[in-house]
Amino acid sequence: MAGKIVADTLEHSTAGSLDTQYVVNGSAKAWANINGSGTVVFRDSLNCTSLTDHSAGIFTTSFTNSMNNADYSTTATSSLNNAYSGDMIVMIHATGTVKTKTYYGSGYAGTDVAINCHSNFGDLA
Amino acid sequence: MNTPEFQGTHLWDRLCWAKENLEGYQSDYRVVYEDSIDECAKILVPDPNWMACAMQGGILPPVWVYHELAKDEAQEDFKKHTRGYLLHETQPVDAMTEEEAIEYLIMKDCPQSVWQNWDSGNKPKMVICRKEQLPSTREWRNAWKITEELTVTDLAA
Repeated sequence: MAGKIVADTLEHSTAGSLDTQYVVNGSAKAWANINGSGTVVFRDSLNCTSLTDHSAGIFTTSFTNSMNNADYSTTATSSLNNAYSGDMIVMIHATGTVKTKTYYGSGYAGTDVAINCHSNFGDLA
Repeated sequence: MNTPEFQGTHLWDRLCWAKENLEGYQSDYRVVYEDSIDECAKILVPDPNWMACAMQGGILPPVWVYHELAKDEAQEDFKKHTRGYLLHETQPVDAMTEEEAIEYLIMKDCPQSVWQNWDSGNKPKMVICRKEQLPSTREWRNAWKITEELTVTDLAA
């Protein structure tokens, strides 16, 4: 591709150097910001194909470029119009999908909230 | 904008190109399906950036690539993908219409048991609709079902 730079190391004039593998390995390979209330839609994303709305608060996001294995790491967060923060957990990791659940309170029942975000770190297939 | 020649380019690099150069396309189509009688209906929602890639052409791999990877992952001794090259080296698919993109999406992200037999049984297991045809609020979301009044003949008409 045009504009491609191949480099193993980035070096700062005074602060030292960094292997580019840290950048590659430490970058999210897929992420999504999902409106989970009202009409469910992606607000924005990278490397996502679709989301499956299973029931209240439970969604599966599919990836376009699958992860290499199912041991990747997901960070997830959610909130309802800044009013409260729901807990968002990963239910199932597969190489092509991640299934998440948002709940609030001690009942652990899936709850629809406005903002559902997740980022996925690991190796791509 | 023309798509660069992407065959052999890592799929993730293609998606980054698309993110930078293509406007997301928010489709109004939704796919409603039921894959268990004990669960409520599921709704498949397309990703706008992915829709833009599908309609642009020359970016996405053919859907059979995902089926091959799914077969690999279903193996009992699966640890990691060894045929990821299929995503990057297979000739990308041409530009699709919005409707063709939804068909591709169904074959990629709906269970095969649903889309291969959607019209068998007393009522359809899957319906493609507009988002306006879904309930306007998510109240009673966990009880949503495809209506019993909808027949396969209705859908074929």
